[in-house]
Amino acid sequence: MQNHDEIPVEPETESTAFNMDFEADDDWSNYKDSDVMQQQSAIFEQDAAKFPFVGDKEPLSSLEAEYESGSPILLQKIKVLGKEFGAIRRTRGDGNCFFRSFMFSYLEHILESQDQAEVERVKTNVEKCRKTLQDLGYADFTFEDFFSLFLEQLESVLQGNDASISHDELVLRSRDQSVSDYVVMFFRFVTSGEIRKRSEFFEPFILGLSNTTVEQFCKTSVEPMGEESDHVHITALCDALGVAIRVVYLDRSSCDKDGGVSVNHHDFVPTPSDGATAGTVCDLDLFGWVQTAKQEGE
Amino acid sequence: MSTPARKRLMRDFKRLQQDPPAGISGAPYDNNIMLWNAVIFGPDDTPWDGGTFKLTLQFSEDYPNKPPTVRFISRMFHPNIYADGSICLDILQNQWSPIYDVAAILTSIQSLLCDPNPNSPANSEAARLFSENKREYNRKVREIVEQSWTAD
Repeated sequence: MQNHDEIPVEPETESTAFNMDFEADDDWSNYKDSDVMQQQSAIFEQDAAKFPFVGDKEPLSSLEAEYESGSPILLQKIKVLGKEFGAIRRTRGDGNCFFRSFMFSYLEHILESQDQAEVERVKTNVEKCRKTLQDLGYADFTFEDFFSLFLEQLESVLQGNDASISHDELVLRSRDQSVSDYVVMFFRFVTSGEIRKRSEFFEPFILGLSNTTVEQFCKTSVEPMGEESDHVHITALCDALGVAIRVVYLDRSSCDKDGGVSVNHHDFVPTPSDGATAGTVCDLDLFGWVQTAKQEGE
Repeated sequence: MSTPARKRLMRDFKRLQQDPPAGISGAPYDNNIMLWNAVIFGPDDTPWDGGTFKLTLQFSEDYPNKPPTVRFISRMFHPNIYADGSICLDILQNQWSPIYDVAAILTSIQSLLCDPNPNSPANSEAARLFSENKREYNRKVREIVEQSWTAD
């Protein structure tokens, strides 16, 4: 976890230039918070029109094309990834991309595997998370809608009942803000509950990340929408739900292995705490946080 | 029509009625659950003591994923409150989370009264007096408290 060279170096981030014409008499004190907020949401809406929350499948060659004039090591790594993954999906970089990717990848995994036992196992862990939040003093009504919406999605990817959905419908739901935002908030609640419950364990990592208290970290970096996830969030979610997560980093670090290039990754494997059942599902892959990869031969 | 936002607001209201935090009250308009009136009482033993400050909370169908628009109706003098009554408070902006219900919003605003953040001033005069001339600041606050009794 402390392995800092695995923290993704944003690959070739093309800074989005917003053309703002500053006039000489433009004074910041003329702008109120609400103006700033409005402008921010206008920018998000522009983005929203361009990228869905979860994109269509794309071949890795489309990623290659993007980095053509970039660092040669990235191109080599993309080639290596191409041997392991058949396609990628991009997610919108709005600060919730980790949670949205996880939602899609996990539900897609259940839809394809029809693994009843896995659904039962996760449901048991979800109930434990509910209990955690109650024990921490959260009012039920502030989180129950988010829990029930997630459980509904989980049920619906299992086939054979009236509420069952197809793969196309799952893609649509993952792009529907009213579903996706609720599921993201469900994950944020679960993540925050896990961090608070095991605050002693998480404290040193949080100190290293943001130099704040556990309480403050949860309030400012976990519970609000749009706050980006880091290794602390991923560890907590992985432990709480008992679902393993693999993050693949597409960065410029050299990863020579036996003369050839390999792509570094980090596996988050759940630590079973107080008897929480740990599964072995490992199906989330992110490149530099914004792209999910799809395993070959679906 | 019952939407997730409306259902949630009914529960917010129930909680506020059953378990009201000290010094705040709030309720939706008779025929509109999306628009609330609220009153915050100035905390005891502070310059705000005795004030009754009125606010409105306007909710959208995105609630609780988006915060309501909260605004003081009563005239205010405070470093983080604009002339039009809108409030500069992180949880009402980028630090919003559905974890906050109406009771929590009003409690946070109540504690903001006595615990301003002069680093992000909405009222620069109030921010200046708060840091440089507490006596004059407190006098202005008392004026606002007295006005809060007479304004309709």
